[in-house]
Amino acid sequence: MSGLEIRALVRRGGFDLDLDLRLGRGATGVFGPSGAGKSTLLHAIAGLLHAEQLRVAVDGEVLVDAAAGVYPPPHQRRVGLVFQDHRLFPHLSIARNLRYGESAGGGVDLDEVVDLLDLGELLERLPRDCSGGQRQRVAIGRALLAAPRLLLLDEPLSSLDRGLKLQVLPFLRRVQERFGLPTLMVSHDLSDLLALTDELLLVNGGRAAGQGDLPSIAADQGAVELLAGSGLSFSLPGRMARRDGTGLGWVELASRAGEGLGDPGGCEVACGEVTAEIGDEVEVILGPADIVLAVPPMDARLSLTNHLLGTVERITRTAARCLVQVDCGLEASVLAEVTERAVERLELAPGVPVVALFKAQAARARGLGAQRPGPAR
Amino acid sequence: MSAVAVLSPAEWETLWLSLQVSLAATAAVAGPGVALGWLLARREFPGKLLLDTLVHLPLVLTPVVVGYLLLLTFGRSGPLGPLLEALGIEVAFTTLGAVLAAAVVALPLVVRSVRTAVELVDPGLEDAAAVLGAGPLRRFRTVTLPLAAPGVVAGLTLGFARSLGEFGATITLAGSIAGETRTLPLAIFQGTQVPGGDGAALRLTVVSVLLSAAALPASELVVRRRRRGAGGGQT
Repeated sequence: MSGLEIRALVRRGGFDLDLDLRLGRGATGVFGPSGAGKSTLLHAIAGLLHAEQLRVAVDGEVLVDAAAGVYPPPHQRRVGLVFQDHRLFPHLSIARNLRYGESAGGGVDLDEVVDLLDLGELLERLPRDCSGGQRQRVAIGRALLAAPRLLLLDEPLSSLDRGLKLQVLPFLRRVQERFGLPTLMVSHDLSDLLALTDELLLVNGGRAAGQGDLPSIAADQGAVELLAGSGLSFSLPGRMARRDGTGLGWVELASRAGEGLGDPGGCEVACGEVTAEIGDEVEVILGPADIVLAVPPMDARLSLTNHLLGTVERITRTAARCLVQVDCGLEASVLAEVTERAVERLELAPGVPVVALFKAQAARARGLGAQRPGPAR
Repeated sequence: MSAVAVLSPAEWETLWLSLQVSLAATAAVAGPGVALGWLLARREFPGKLLLDTLVHLPLVLTPVVVGYLLLLTFGRSGPLGPLLEALGIEVAFTTLGAVLAAAVVALPLVVRSVRTAVELVDPGLEDAAAVLGAGPLRRFRTVTLPLAAPGVVAGLTLGFARSLGEFGATITLAGSIAGETRTLPLAIFQGTQVPGGDGAALRLTVVSVLLSAAALPASELVVRRRRRGAGGGQT
């Protein structure tokens, strides 16, 4: 069977992690409140903590099956784990760190990894002489060189501030594109997961609370309630078009192939915070709480720059609010958080045309294309 | 001062014997000391407290008692006596006995130092090594030991210095036989007990102070060289 199968039961003190998962072959983002058991899952899979039950299979190949007596120690599991705090060996050079787990005949070439992650300049240095972003790239490269069958990323970006994150995130994308390893990535930042993974797995209280892409999760009431408490965000892919004199960056959003937008404002939106160069592939990160919905025709003149025309796809009601999915003809849906009262007043329902409005200041554009510095050797 | 500067052949012999005994004792405790230090730092097992107490006992007991206990254990009429005799090994009143006495009193110092050093090594690094495919021995050899090296060297230095100064356990177990078990402290004591032995006692005292004082900077040098060398080299 293709994809990743995981059955895990871990008991630790009063906490039970109990998951039975069928995941896709690509990258899965594991999201949930702290204490949900996300890191516990990764550590159990890697063998760093004891699991009462564990079965892990990649494309039908069994890596661990405790019930069948296949329970290798961590050093024989061929599972790569990148820790939040990089855990580079402080007494070894970057080159020796990279080669530490280098597997003989594993098919992963040191030069390729060095090139892919842009580590050429660092090889002779000690970890303490590298920046946080560089160290995390080395940790990723080190894990890759051990030729794992499964890659686990435990909050690989969370020790980095926003600027440093951009020294790592594009490289992680490159790794995905090049190696296509089945990957589980834990993060408390949903936008990171959306940028790097194909599928989301929500975990709460040691149980799976939802699985799928963002639109399908956004249609699940329980999942939305969980996400709302942990900082729900969504992203719209596009390309950095230009900067204007006022510090705003303009992003041309990617529309779904073959469909016109039919919007007078085009599909360019202004973003208050931009970390990308012109021409870069970017994602515009927004929070549903920052989106205002209006029903056309719009007579009022607004100070808002950004408006996207679309139709309501779906409304998911939770106790506190409603999450409205709007199809604006873009590659991803726009999510807007409104009150039940607003839904009634605007008579919102699937198929109703709406305009999604947001301030430029609420939008953050983040570059995804790895910008390689020129060969400075 | 000229009397101090020049050692007699017998004094040279004492110095040479002392160095041999101390180095042998240090070498003998290096392996067990590192193993015990690691065990106490990293593992939980039944009887850990007992082991810990036994290892550290020589630190709190008066050395004469340690020597006497060793004599009772390893002496001809002790429980290990027949076995050792069958193997042709004699401990009481031999150089080997002097080494044993010095080793037993040095061991706790080595274990304590190694234990503290290993406890300071982040177990997360050992986990990282495990996930990268390193088995327990390789993890210890390539991660734990190099990172704990300063503590190990410091412990061995302390152990060496302690061996060099060993008196009570040595005289009880091995006696004070010139050329065999009479190490520096015993020779100094001997010098103070015989008429006209003051000069020898003073000369050997100066030698003792110099040796012990030199051990500390020497170990510091070793640690520094290790640190500097840590960056380069091949896998």
